[in-house]
Amino acid sequence: MIRVFSIIVLFLGCVWTSKAQSILINGRIKDSMSGEPVENAQIIIPATGEGTVSGEDGFFSLSVSHEFPVELSVIHIAYDKEVLTVQNKKSTGIILYLNPKTTYLDEVTVMGSFENEKPYRTETISAKTITKTSISDIGMLLRREPNVSGVKKGAAGVDPVVRGFKYAQLNVQLDGGIKIEGGCPNRMDPVLAHVDINDVKNISVYKGPFALKYGPNLGGVINVSTYTPRFYDAFENHIEVFAGGQTNHTGFKNSFGVNGGNDVVAYYVKGNYKQYGDYKAGNGEVISSSLEQYNVGGKLAVKPAKGHTVTVGFDRSWGRNVDFPSLPMDERKDDTHIYNISYFGTDFSRIVNYIRFKAYNTHVEHEMDNKNRPFSDTVVAVSQIAANNTGGKFGINLNLWKGRLEAGVDYEQINKDGNRYKYLILQPNLPQVTEGLWNNAVIRNLGVYAEWQRSFTSLDLIAAFRYDYNTANSDTLFRRKMNGQVVYENTNTSSTFNNISFSVGLTWHINESNSLLFSLGRGVRSPDMTERYIILLPVSYDPYDYLGNPQLKPEVNYEADFGYRFMQKTAGALHVSVFYSIVENYILGELVPPSQVPPQTRGVLGVKKFINIDRARLMGFEFSYTTPQKYQWFARLNAAYTYGVNPKTVQYIRENGEVVGEQIITNDPLNEIPPFETNISLGYGFFHKKLIPELDIRMVAAQNKVSVANYEQTTPGFVTLGFVLTWQQSDMFTLYAGITNLTNAAYYEHLNRRVIGSKSPLYEPGRMFYVNLRFYL
Amino acid sequence: MNKISTLSLLAFLLLAMGCNKTYPMKVTYQATGAVSAYNLQYLDDQNVLVKTTILPQSEQDVWNYDFEAEQGDIVYMNGKYNDVNSGLKLQLLIDGKMYKQASTEGDTIKYVVVSGTVPYE
Repeated sequence: MIRVFSIIVLFLGCVWTSKAQSILINGRIKDSMSGEPVENAQIIIPATGEGTVSGEDGFFSLSVSHEFPVELSVIHIAYDKEVLTVQNKKSTGIILYLNPKTTYLDEVTVMGSFENEKPYRTETISAKTITKTSISDIGMLLRREPNVSGVKKGAAGVDPVVRGFKYAQLNVQLDGGIKIEGGCPNRMDPVLAHVDINDVKNISVYKGPFALKYGPNLGGVINVSTYTPRFYDAFENHIEVFAGGQTNHTGFKNSFGVNGGNDVVAYYVKGNYKQYGDYKAGNGEVISSSLEQYNVGGKLAVKPAKGHTVTVGFDRSWGRNVDFPSLPMDERKDDTHIYNISYFGTDFSRIVNYIRFKAYNTHVEHEMDNKNRPFSDTVVAVSQIAANNTGGKFGINLNLWKGRLEAGVDYEQINKDGNRYKYLILQPNLPQVTEGLWNNAVIRNLGVYAEWQRSFTSLDLIAAFRYDYNTANSDTLFRRKMNGQVVYENTNTSSTFNNISFSVGLTWHINESNSLLFSLGRGVRSPDMTERYIILLPVSYDPYDYLGNPQLKPEVNYEADFGYRFMQKTAGALHVSVFYSIVENYILGELVPPSQVPPQTRGVLGVKKFINIDRARLMGFEFSYTTPQKYQWFARLNAAYTYGVNPKTVQYIRENGEVVGEQIITNDPLNEIPPFETNISLGYGFFHKKLIPELDIRMVAAQNKVSVANYEQTTPGFVTLGFVLTWQQSDMFTLYAGITNLTNAAYYEHLNRRVIGSKSPLYEPGRMFYVNLRFYL
Repeated sequence: MNKISTLSLLAFLLLAMGCNKTYPMKVTYQATGAVSAYNLQYLDDQNVLVKTTILPQSEQDVWNYDFEAEQGDIVYMNGKYNDVNSGLKLQLLIDGKMYKQASTEGDTIKYVVVSGTVPYE
């Protein structure tokens, strides 16, 4: 750790003292439709002929000898030409959005052509990154980003963890506002499990409680943008085919899409199918990891008038027989429906930049059982849950107070109901027991938000505010034994909260290359369905039945982020960020005496009830560096670390499978926090970057800072190597061939849950070969 | 257009290749080994618990019930007899192969139970 810090400090010192000979304009080119970085856009100063080209990640750096203001022309074959005037050096760090040819406008378009880079840490994963991997799960893909990890319990549904925040502490959504409520109490189907990875155009991770226009935000926002229809001048049709296959976790992922339209109507229809078997870990152990998932979806966009776009979309997905070796059940089937309609309008007046509206309904029918588990010889348990999420959002973006103000209102309603059916198959007459998992539980959240941005001479300011009115209720929470005896009953299930969140961020452009970033925020989130209404199920990391608490208070995160960004044409791009967070009313489990509520699950140590503790603290850093785009070779490096601590907690002392006492532990590390990690990518572009071999090295330290109170186990460190060869024949055909875990290392992530009923970790796959093909016509 | 047709065909084949159809499996309940009347209870093809009484002619008599089930379906049969000189052997076969069996002799108190779920693999 000290060595890494020393290197960072040394590097910072070097770049700080360097002095540019001319003024640099740095920025990034993005697609206004998808938000993806635009590669190979030409940025030219017509007056002098000076120019450059944006790199793979859309970044550019242009040396300017001309006096300000400078007029820039941005040209790309697939986009409308943009001309913008850079008034002075404060315009470094800009994002320029290009409109795809035929003047398509989508809600991510920012009027005025460019917006400022965010003062808080943001990670973006592009479609190209997704296409070149063998990964089939979005959560698993996110684990490659600095300080983003995931809780893995089985073949799919890796649940993201960002800077130590997880589950409801993160706001995970699709297309800037669509929410999905998973059915499983053990989160085998978190939000991202309901979206096919081949439908993703890009993913943005906004860290910290600062981005408030996306909804209640405690620890961060993950926004997954899916494919969008594209308008054309004249009627055109295109097809897109993707086929990927792999050894080890043997299987394939295929997709087929058709899109097209003219300048008034555009459409996109796509279907995906994937199927995988078990895999072999590096030590030869076979891990149950088979799954089958498929979906079909489509979007239709219409422009009733210039500057106005209405889009309707649907997606229907199916999951079948997905193995979860770390949970007491496997997913038998998961049927998801997503319906949405959105409107995006411009050209209202000089004050109104745009108006947008979105409404959606998502519905999940989730069924899981223990039929593939040894315990099913005695009791067959089948759980069926229906989860519904309906909501919408209205926003207006205005030129106000010499800046841009976006204000709006959003609403979300979650309904959840479901039972567990137990068949006691060894007993005469085959008795059946029905237990309510969720009893018509409802959570409603109405929010009002505003975000204002303004640029000063060398300073960019962003301030956001949000108010949420949150209510929840459920039918009586109860659990009875087979003989009718009441084990637990709670009729006090209603709660109402008024939550206020706010944030402020500053970017100080010290000079052409160096910027300092600072953000301060208060984010509030109300307890989720599980924390409020779960009834005696082992839903957490430790072996206890958990009991929901409808009277929990919302968690409040006070967080400060400090960052440094350096971008220079000859030296590359560097970003360092550190954060410190205090979470008040942090939600954890507290032991309930067995005399009050006896446990109902075989093998657990007792019952814990969700409570608020006074506070927890989280802190850490991210570091990333990318070499300049002008070279044929490239290197990317990132490193990240998070440490979380619970100042005062209780350890329940266990003996022979029973709790026999307790003791106070101070400064106990929070559980399920990933260890220090470094990723390095090295590559070279042959034949004008048509052929790119790339080596990925991932180094993960041991995690020894584990929760003593929760008997969390330490995890050894590991190093993995991966290799991928990209051959881009043309825009129409690309081939990716790769190897993951080249050395066939036997390893597992710290956040992988243990295989249930054992102390064995859930190992990651051993060496794997894969090939992906993408056609576009 | 030819390229589009070729690619469409390729895509269709790739997707069709992925379609994994499951076939129903043949489940057989068998009861034998009794010399006098015994009661049986079994889960039938409609998932209904059926009660019946069997009067065997000899210990070698075999009572059979066949039906088709999907993977994951619960299969269940129990038997009981009241003659201490009798016995009962229950067998559960899936696609003709022995899956579960249980038997008693001279035990008129306990039920003989065979049960499980039709395995996925």
